[in-house]
Amino acid sequence: MSFSKLLVVNRGEIAARVLRTAKARGLATAVLRHVAEQEGPAHLIADEIVMIDGLTPVAAYLDIPQIVAAAKKIGADAVHPGYGFLSENAGFVAALEEAGVTFVGPTSETIDLMGDKVRARAFVEERGFPVAPSAIEDDDPETFVERARAVGYPLLIKPSAGGGGKGMRVVREDSGLEAEIETARREGERYFGDGRLFVERYIERPRHIEVQVMGDGQGNVVHFWERECSIQRRFQKIIEETPSPALSLEQRQDICETAAGIARAVNYRGAGTVEFIYAQDGAFYFLEMNTRLQVEHPVTEMVTGFDLVAEQLRIAAGEGLSAVQADIPQTGHSIELRICAEDATADFRPAIGDILLLDEPQGEGVRVDSGILDGGKVTTDFDPMLSKLIVHGRDRAQAIARARNAVQNYVILGVTTNTGYLDAILSHPDFASGDVSTGFLAEQSEMLTAPGEDVSDLLMAAAALSDDRLVSDVMQIPKMHRKMGGWRN
Amino acid sequence: MRRIESLVDTNAADYKANYAAMSVRLKEFHARQHAARFERPQRDIDRLARQNKLGVRERLKLLLDPGTPFLEFSTLAACREYDGAVPGAAVVTGIGIVQGREVAIHANDASVKGGAWYPHTVKKIVRLLDVALENRLPVIHICDSAGGFLPLQHGVFPDRYLGGRVFRNQVKLSQANIPQIAVVGGHCTAGGAYVPTLSDYNIIIEGTGAIFLGGPPLVKAATGEEVGVQELGGAVMHTSVSGTGDYRAATEQHAFSLAREIVSQWKRTPKTIIETASYEEPYYDPTELYGIIPKDRKTQFDMREVLARIVDGSRFHEYQPDYGTTMVCGFAHIWGFKVGILANNGVLFNDSSLKAAHFMQLCNQNRTPLVFFQNITGYMVGREYEERGIAKDGAKMLMAQGGSVVPKFTVIANASYGAGNYGMCGRAWDARTLFMWPQAEIGVMGADQAANTMADVKIRQLQREGKELSEEEIAAIRDPVLEKFRRDVEAYTSTSELWDDGILDPADTRNALGMSISASLNAPIDDPHYGIFRL
Amino acid sequence: MQRIFQIDGEETECWLGHDGSQFVLNTPDGTVACQLDPTGLPGGYTLRAKGVVRELRLAVGPEATFVHMDGRTYGVGRVDPAERLAGRDGGASDDRLVAPMPGVVVSVAVKPGNTVEEGQPLLVIESMKLETTLTAPRDGVVAEMPFAEGDSFGLKDILAQLAPEEE
Repeated sequence: MSFSKLLVVNRGEIAARVLRTAKARGLATAVLRHVAEQEGPAHLIADEIVMIDGLTPVAAYLDIPQIVAAAKKIGADAVHPGYGFLSENAGFVAALEEAGVTFVGPTSETIDLMGDKVRARAFVEERGFPVAPSAIEDDDPETFVERARAVGYPLLIKPSAGGGGKGMRVVREDSGLEAEIETARREGERYFGDGRLFVERYIERPRHIEVQVMGDGQGNVVHFWERECSIQRRFQKIIEETPSPALSLEQRQDICETAAGIARAVNYRGAGTVEFIYAQDGAFYFLEMNTRLQVEHPVTEMVTGFDLVAEQLRIAAGEGLSAVQADIPQTGHSIELRICAEDATADFRPAIGDILLLDEPQGEGVRVDSGILDGGKVTTDFDPMLSKLIVHGRDRAQAIARARNAVQNYVILGVTTNTGYLDAILSHPDFASGDVSTGFLAEQSEMLTAPGEDVSDLLMAAAALSDDRLVSDVMQIPKMHRKMGGWRN
Repeated sequence: MRRIESLVDTNAADYKANYAAMSVRLKEFHARQHAARFERPQRDIDRLARQNKLGVRERLKLLLDPGTPFLEFSTLAACREYDGAVPGAAVVTGIGIVQGREVAIHANDASVKGGAWYPHTVKKIVRLLDVALENRLPVIHICDSAGGFLPLQHGVFPDRYLGGRVFRNQVKLSQANIPQIAVVGGHCTAGGAYVPTLSDYNIIIEGTGAIFLGGPPLVKAATGEEVGVQELGGAVMHTSVSGTGDYRAATEQHAFSLAREIVSQWKRTPKTIIETASYEEPYYDPTELYGIIPKDRKTQFDMREVLARIVDGSRFHEYQPDYGTTMVCGFAHIWGFKVGILANNGVLFNDSSLKAAHFMQLCNQNRTPLVFFQNITGYMVGREYEERGIAKDGAKMLMAQGGSVVPKFTVIANASYGAGNYGMCGRAWDARTLFMWPQAEIGVMGADQAANTMADVKIRQLQREGKELSEEEIAAIRDPVLEKFRRDVEAYTSTSELWDDGILDPADTRNALGMSISASLNAPIDDPHYGIFRL
Repeated sequence: MQRIFQIDGEETECWLGHDGSQFVLNTPDGTVACQLDPTGLPGGYTLRAKGVVRELRLAVGPEATFVHMDGRTYGVGRVDPAERLAGRDGGASDDRLVAPMPGVVVSVAVKPGNTVEEGQPLLVIESMKLETTLTAPRDGVVAEMPFAEGDSFGLKDILAQLAPEEE
């Protein structure tokens, strides 16, 4: 079970982050790189780089045969999938098993179960864990629309095979129900290859609370407390934090124990996250379980002091969990900001460009998981997230202050990023008071993207004086004539 | 170098009276310049707009570097001719900066008589090209002309320094490796076609620019062929068929952008090096000149006070301060350039002439440009002076001045009469630039003297015929002559006739000299060599 | 000395001057005396302008300059007006192809009413034993093709006419 060479089948910041821990544990490391991909931090850390190719760069990272072959070719005896890509692909797990390569993650059965949102939901409900009122098409396609109607409005239509917030539609009135069902079905076919649906009660102004769990596959499960991820735009998380400002200690224990219970129920192996919808009245409902390490795992690491990737590697190597529940504290407060290449003033259109200058913030309580290098290039080949900025403070106020300071000092020049937008969120009074829900960003969008102080004169002066050709053109005018200026006799 | 100590009392009555008088003059001067440069009948402005052309001043704005000075020559050329209907003689000339380089500008003003060439136009253009040749300044021509003004063709065409001289100068410029660009923003007909064709580069603006030896009417008259402007000589034809045009510009902005780009390609040649220092503003306020220059031309004033308001830091190193005191000679800096200054403080005597001659030789020896401030009514006359050889001494001064190899610049600051004009580098003596102050006068002698002399001739003639004349009758003979003479010696007459390169507001003199000196250093300075000094 | 600066979609035409002691940026709204000095940090500068001092980080790209100042990031597009004009040369008002010399039409590739792209072949001519393909000077719609295959034409005859461009 133990292994000596780890191939990370991912890229960007997560590949670099996983490689760092792997190296610290004394493993030989390798990472994939697409032929058209820019050099990133991961390529500088890994001992070996395996080049891959495909119709598109993303396709290459989804190419199971190519990747399995790559692992075998370099003699990697373990593979870490990161998040996204093949991290929740049961077929990939099976292929690795066949090739005799250890997969750092859950079993293919668990992935299968939790990957099917309908099955997962049913599984959880059967075992008495809270789920939102719903109607699953598969149960009885004939009566689906009727049963959907019975869920009550507002309701949310979700594709069974979906995830990550894609393909979901809110219906507030009965008159729109059937049309929205048809649209959702078409989209399900298009994005996930599966048009099956289920309908859930839509909780107004919900908070998105998730719990980090870890199991050794031998029946032992611990939780690493919760994370609040309500700052979302179009169902994509932007800012995550822990602990949740809305929950009391009892509420947190309650929801975390529930999550741990769900993980125990499947004898979970590896790192996972149970996501809940948390309603204004304190009720919470199971949303889904992500059978992988999540993007926002660092905030958990900051408040608990644990290296979750190290835990994953221990478990995959058969060494079991390194702690029991009582050993997992929650100290202080941590906030993560996703730094993305997008233009907040142009409807978050993905931005491209050359990274002309990169200067990541440092300091006490500041951690940057970066996927970019100074002099690199940002293209639309991959996801627009460039890096994650994580801060820790002794309390939420200090964490917010440190986050603001760090994001204001995060220098990325050459490509438009959302740093200004993130700072606007952090400084919004509702964020400071913790009074947010998943609708916060949409509701406040105008205020958050409002232009700041007009400094255009200063900017033009800076741009003019740093334009070498312009300056030399001006200086080639003889000094006397420059001094005379626009004199006319 | 010590500062000139001014003795001027700005509160004194005569200072204030002078100041007031000069202010009145300047008000008129500035009004006339403004009218000549900018005021045009609406129908002429409309016509340009209909023709889709920019005015000459807008074209210069597109061409010249923003925030740089433009020294315009002879704005008031032809102001006393043609009933004042041809302001500036329908052409703008001067020295400006393009892409950091000093260039000479020749730009037709099509808002005046379609940019036609009047006799004074030709003289102004020839003068500009002479300036370009002497100072090795590249030339940019902006062509937009209706051609020669036929009713006055005898003053435009036949003589040595008339129309043909423009093109001859262009040839000489080219021969001397001095580049020229022509931007054709209107018609270049007949002789005018040679401006762009003799230029190293030319740019034709589509739709408005055209080049042809014979325009459509002439072609029709000559051979019966009917052909339009564009087909005969437009931008497309010349840049793709005949090869006469180098660049075709879609718009005026495009044309001048191209011209600037061409200029930026020219190799900059090193300028002649002369002594320089960091520049300093004059210690005294230049506008004090208005109170120093006397309101009555005959009143004497100390030229040092004038210099103190023009030269850097008001510093002046006087040469032979105690000898030949009617001639002030010395070194100073103008905009950092070290110059040798000669300025009149009275009539020229033997000693002052000799001093001037020696001083000019010193300047030639150490490559110091000469600046002349004229306030001269003549050389001293009388037996004593003739016996001392004043004519010889005057000749020596002329030999030194005329034989100078350093650049010379003249400011006619007050009077400029007779041979004194010559000694002090008048127009005939190749000053690189020569400017007049508004109250200055130039003539073979003063108006009163001339009028009296001429009236006396007439009076004596009548007396010989036996007629005795009363006071009124004498006045009736003398006064009209005096009137005419007064007018003939005025600065406005001089500038109208292009006997100078323009009238200057005295406070502008410093900048005008600075620009002139800087421009002149594009040409090399020879080793000194003179003719024979009659010793 | 002139530049057009683009900030947040707005363009401002400026020119830079230096009066012998300091730089002055001239904008339509006024002048800004300014000075930029490096601080030693990568891309680090101190900007002095309008009576304020700002520490900033700056990076110059081929078409835009990026500035990080006071915790915010900005991009300033830079355009040389001359380049913008020059890009339109080669005849912005080309509506037609004119015969450079007499010859014969070998073949015609388009008809009136056809939409064509800049560079698209319109016809092939033969002159002085040389065949030349003539292409559309700009995107547009063909208005007239006066000559047919086999026709001969003279110097300066119009071989193709495009419909005038819409404003």
